[in-house]
Amino acid sequence: MSVVQRPELSLWKRLFLVELLQGMAVTFRHWWRKPTTEQYPKERPKILPRFRGIPKLQDHPDVEGILCIACNQCSIICPDDCITVLGEPRTVGKGKQAKVFILDYERCCLCGLCEEVCPTTPVPAIFMSHEYELARYKRVDLMNDMKELYEPQPTKEYLK
Amino acid sequence: MLGTRELEINLGPQHPSTHGVLRVKLKLDGETIVESDPVIGYLHRGCEKLGENRNYIQTEVYTDRMDYIAAINENLVYIEAVEKLLGVEAAPRAQYMRVILAELQRIASHLVWLATHALDIGAMSVFLYCFREREAILDLIEGYCGARLTTNAIRAGGMRLDFPDGWTGAAKDFCDEFPARLKEYDTLLKTNRIWMGRTKDIGVISGEKALSYGITGPCLRASGVNYDVRKAMPYEVYSEMEFDVPLGSVGDTYDRYLVRLEEMRQSRLIVLQALAKMPEGPVMNKVPKRIKPPAGEVYVVNEGPRGELGVYLVSNGTDTAERCRFKSPCFVNLQALPELAKGHMVADIVALIGTLDIVLGCIDR
Amino acid sequence: MKEQLIQYLAVPMLQIAAIIGVMLLCVMYLVLWERKLIAFMQVRMGPMRVGYHGLLQPIADVVKLLLKEDVVPKAADRWVHLISPIILMIPALACFAVIPFTGTSFEVGAFTIPLVNYDVPALTVTSWVADLNIGLLYFLAISSLGVYGLVLAGWSSNSKYSMLGSLRSAAQMISYEVPLGLSIVAILMLSGTASLVGIVEAQQEAGHWWLFWAPLGVPLLWPQFIGLFLYFVAAVAETNRAPFDLPEAETELVAGFHTEYSGMKFAFMFLAEYLNMILAALIVSVLFLGGWLPVTFGIPGLSELFGNFLPFLGGAGAAITGFFWLALKVFLVLTVYLWLRATFPRYRYDQLMSLGWKWLIPMGLAHVMVTALFMLLRG
Repeated sequence: MSVVQRPELSLWKRLFLVELLQGMAVTFRHWWRKPTTEQYPKERPKILPRFRGIPKLQDHPDVEGILCIACNQCSIICPDDCITVLGEPRTVGKGKQAKVFILDYERCCLCGLCEEVCPTTPVPAIFMSHEYELARYKRVDLMNDMKELYEPQPTKEYLK
Repeated sequence: MLGTRELEINLGPQHPSTHGVLRVKLKLDGETIVESDPVIGYLHRGCEKLGENRNYIQTEVYTDRMDYIAAINENLVYIEAVEKLLGVEAAPRAQYMRVILAELQRIASHLVWLATHALDIGAMSVFLYCFREREAILDLIEGYCGARLTTNAIRAGGMRLDFPDGWTGAAKDFCDEFPARLKEYDTLLKTNRIWMGRTKDIGVISGEKALSYGITGPCLRASGVNYDVRKAMPYEVYSEMEFDVPLGSVGDTYDRYLVRLEEMRQSRLIVLQALAKMPEGPVMNKVPKRIKPPAGEVYVVNEGPRGELGVYLVSNGTDTAERCRFKSPCFVNLQALPELAKGHMVADIVALIGTLDIVLGCIDR
Repeated sequence: MKEQLIQYLAVPMLQIAAIIGVMLLCVMYLVLWERKLIAFMQVRMGPMRVGYHGLLQPIADVVKLLLKEDVVPKAADRWVHLISPIILMIPALACFAVIPFTGTSFEVGAFTIPLVNYDVPALTVTSWVADLNIGLLYFLAISSLGVYGLVLAGWSSNSKYSMLGSLRSAAQMISYEVPLGLSIVAILMLSGTASLVGIVEAQQEAGHWWLFWAPLGVPLLWPQFIGLFLYFVAAVAETNRAPFDLPEAETELVAGFHTEYSGMKFAFMFLAEYLNMILAALIVSVLFLGGWLPVTFGIPGLSELFGNFLPFLGGAGAAITGFFWLALKVFLVLTVYLWLRATFPRYRYDQLMSLGWKWLIPMGLAHVMVTALFMLLRG
């Protein structure tokens, strides 16, 4: 516990506007620093490995067929009820696989709980991708079925 | 039919400096405020009701969105309440990680406060400098949990993930660089005569009055009341940390500014200490996957960047809370606005809204 | 008769057209420079998209403002709402009439305009539209008319924010007129004339800028620094710029007096504000910084060297050099203007008033006295 000091301006500082000039010196020094801005569509931001973008589906070469086992855990944990999964018997091997997988990006809050609960090995079937551009012209475009969930989103490259 | 009337003016909800969707009904006599009346509720999303309809894991996602400037602190207090209901403790390493993240988030939150407060008073550059530093912290948080604002990082029993490689080094680098940046803000604001003129003796509130209003956090400490939950009821590993609680002497806007800046310095010290003391080991204790705490009720408080964050949970033995209540420091602090603003000028009301450091998501819940 | 018509009607018309055109272009690029400079000071980049590093941004802005819908509030006083931007704009432009942009006149020989075969006699074209012997008074009188535009704009919008903004600006501009006037009294005493051309010529005669007027031969005793400081502060306040931008304080009054303006009307108000800035910078340069005299003026040797870059052009070369020096000074003064905006918080209404009345006006009076005293001592 300590009481913060309230500075007072001394007379000569008051008279000669010293602190105002010091302030101007700070902005002047910043003039020559490199800008921190990213020129967004021309420059793609650097994405950190754990970045949680929009959820997508993935398969794995070690597992034959569709990786998702339609266990419905993601749709149960989802706080926004944005996942719908319907299963069918697996085409290869035992168990189930997803027949219908609908993800509504309009409601998704990118919390990452679905990836966390996904029980598939070696990788979760639903994962937080590094895609983040969600603007669409129609609301219905935000409803994604299985086919769209597997495809990476096309990104437009801009000239610098 | 000539007469004089007070001018009624609506500041907000669409106004550049009400920090969201706050509406303040002002009665003006010329430029002097006769009466001010904050109107809230434009951002009400029913977080408490959602907390009673979603299970404990899902509700954490909503706590991110209450105080979106300091999501980790909200996460932390909610998870602490759940842990208390469950009767589990976080893993030792996780406790340090929580302190590090919470203090970094506190610095980030205070930076946003300083940025917007300075912008309200007209200092444009400080806004961008503060956001540059905040961006560095958000990069750290994003590197840890994958999201900048809506972190959803903490789990009952520990943390979801360990720090990635090189994270602690990056956090240390930030802490090393930070004091020089704070010094620049001091040059631009602390001793600036315009800034002093705009903040000194504006919105003075005595310690007693602040206590009777229920104000907490830096606003209370600026009035000279030594109350910090981190010291008064230490949670996590705060009892092992050495830090100072800065207090103000007058209780005006300038004191609140000084106290928050000092808090940023202290938070930096806490981060450095926690980084040095952090043990190795697992970050998660054994907790059942499906959280079903026994029936009971808890109330847990934390020191958020804006004041005392509280969570009251009543469990009925299922995986969903019977009652979920969030105590928002902003809501309580905002009550004092009419008291603070009386007799000041229109220009001061934006300074006062800024100095209370309100987040409408936290107020309206 | 014909000579007089051309000399006193056609030539000033052309000069006016040239000044308006050049000044509007200057305003456009001043806005860009403001955005760029403040961005650099805030570790940003500023406009980058239109043209190379945003160089065509002003043109895009103008096109946008021209094409925008003109919104008039339902309860507004339509006519007053329409004319107030014009009232703001006209004084701002009219003041440029007395500004000497460069010292040397152009001699234009007799020539014939082709196609119409109209003979034009030999002319002398000056860089100023009119060299009034009350130039400074004319400037003070005309520039203060602009406050009517602000007040009427705020009043006619029928919006509370606009009205508060216009009340603030009226009080502010009237109070700061006084220190503005006082700060240039000393210059009038030194020059012995109120003509802006005469003031620069007086500096030329004295051999130094009035800023460096060192009474009694003591080089570090520069009372005119106080004059420059006073004028600059008062001019920043007059033009409603940060840190005195209360009438349009965006965090308090949304946009102040022009909250309810859009499209071309808004553009006019915007233009008037920036024209006033350029005007204030021009007056600073003319009164204190030697107008078209080179930056090195007063230093033996260098003064002549930089007096004419283009000696092979003769008089025209000297004129262009003079214009260049004036432009450089104006640019630097404007940069300081923008620099202030990037650095300082905003004053409060009552603090602004107390600064003006309690500090600047006494300082201005003292400054006049001190200058007079020194002049007396020198005899």
